[in-house]
Amino acid sequence: MSDDDDSRPVLDVADLEVHYGLRRRRRRALHGVSLTVNRGETVGVIGETGSGKSTLARAVLGLVRATSGRITIAGEEVTGYSSQQWRALRRRGVVQYVFQDPLRSLDPDLTVEESLIEPLLIQGVPRAEAAARGRAYLARVRLADDLLGRLPGELSGGQRQRVAVARALVSEPSLIILDEPVSALDSANRVGVLEILKELRDAGVSLVFISHDLGSVVGVADRIAVLYQGEIVEVGPARTIIKAPGHPYTRLLVGSAPTLRSASASRAEREALRALLHARTEADLAPAR
Amino acid sequence: MVRRILGLRAGRVAVGILSAIALLAILGPVLAPQDPFLTRPETLAGPSWAHWLGTDYLGRDVFSRLLDGSRTSVLGAVQVALIGLVAGAVPGILSVYLGRAFEWLTLRAADTLIALPFLVFAVAVTALLGNGISQAMLVVGVLVSPLFFRVSRAATLAVARSQYVEAALISGGSVGWLVRRHVWGKVLPPIAVALAQTIGTGFIVVSSLTFLGIGVQPPEPTWGGLLASDLGYLAYQPWAPVVPAALIMATVWGSNLLADAIRDVSGEAGRTLVNSRRAHARRLDSPEPLTAGGTTR
Repeated sequence: MSDDDDSRPVLDVADLEVHYGLRRRRRRALHGVSLTVNRGETVGVIGETGSGKSTLARAVLGLVRATSGRITIAGEEVTGYSSQQWRALRRRGVVQYVFQDPLRSLDPDLTVEESLIEPLLIQGVPRAEAAARGRAYLARVRLADDLLGRLPGELSGGQRQRVAVARALVSEPSLIILDEPVSALDSANRVGVLEILKELRDAGVSLVFISHDLGSVVGVADRIAVLYQGEIVEVGPARTIIKAPGHPYTRLLVGSAPTLRSASASRAEREALRALLHARTEADLAPAR
Repeated sequence: MVRRILGLRAGRVAVGILSAIALLAILGPVLAPQDPFLTRPETLAGPSWAHWLGTDYLGRDVFSRLLDGSRTSVLGAVQVALIGLVAGAVPGILSVYLGRAFEWLTLRAADTLIALPFLVFAVAVTALLGNGISQAMLVVGVLVSPLFFRVSRAATLAVARSQYVEAALISGGSVGWLVRRHVWGKVLPPIAVALAQTIGTGFIVVSSLTFLGIGVQPPEPTWGGLLASDLGYLAYQPWAPVVPAALIMATVWGSNLLADAIRDVSGEAGRTLVNSRRAHARRLDSPEPLTAGGTTR
């Protein structure tokens, strides 16, 4: 939605390496991850718990320091940024983030309006103007104006998550990272939020949609990256990933997705895939020891 | 905030009590009907028209001494609490944000203050800075500051890692912004409770220093000092400690009520309380059918 050079990717992650802990307790969270998100594109990042999905998001947001590799946001290389430089970048509202748990991502003491327009207030937008813009984005996530004066405790989970999405939109970012945005919602609200994400995608907002549930990502994402044990094992157009998964882990994911009935595999097939995957992981680890 | 506190009955009572105490502190020395230092032959006398609360062991008018001492007592207690608050709460909140080195330094400083023997510290500071009321208040204030440090640090830690603070951080909020907007409101209620408690401690500790000749000097009356000297003559005047004790209790009680009221109107609980009243009023204004669960009312 930003006006600068359209040909540049919004996000370019190259050979990203993130390690946690020091010396003997050192643990590899991400290994050689490369990912590009073009303007107006929606990329799904799929992986199980502990695969490094959230670490990837936090590294892009500057909340986790990269051990090595390069992260470029809208043409700006941010890998070596100091905390001041990060703050300046964040204040411009280039990248926004939507948390998984809408219960905890809104301040319980602030009204919906206060939470919604906070990114604008931080930017120094006058309150009246910020309020007007906040109102517009609330309509965009299909929430009524009369919620503005309420507290998060008086909203349903789905409404709160929509407020969180509207808050991410309000600074008109080039990229929104959504970390499991529908996992904490019931199915009706899940569909509602997914619809909103599709509308955003169609309006040209770049999204990174992180989830463990292939079914909810497929309908929204243009491309899907599969993250397995800290590495991207497969990237491709969403359709290809579903129709012709290459990596055994992807095949297992596709086979286990209950929402993709056509593609679902039998129990025996899934067991075979798990065994294959296990054997591969062992083989990968063997030379390192 | 002030209006919401006054909306609660406990808040009104607290403000009433504390205003009376404040008035006493301002006007007390002027209102004292007799010279509080004048000694008379009739020592340890009971209440009479001449001496409403009797006389003490030197024949001084107790009522006048109470009024005269109210300013020193109240100001002293408040001063102690405020010094403790500033010296404790500010580093307590910032210790979470200003990096490892600052955190380590403040934590060790707080540990040291807790471990320090109170009397030795008081004597040392007096030797260093000279004897006087403000020095005594400083000593006590600094010594109670670890309480504020711990309370505010714990409350800050509880919210510092929360997602809404992180969301504000991702939007580019500075430490000042995060603290003002998200942390302060959650830290305030426990700090207010600690403050009320400290005001109570302040009365007693300041007067106990008087025994050592530090701070308030003996002929000068304070509530805590009167209480202490009355205890020495309990066999002759068993009722005497009641009045200064009641004044101290009223102040502490008022402070505690105020702290409770602050806690009730701030934070999640308070907002829900106030909002539920507003919602109730709204519902009365426009009776629309409730359709939750398929039933209408």
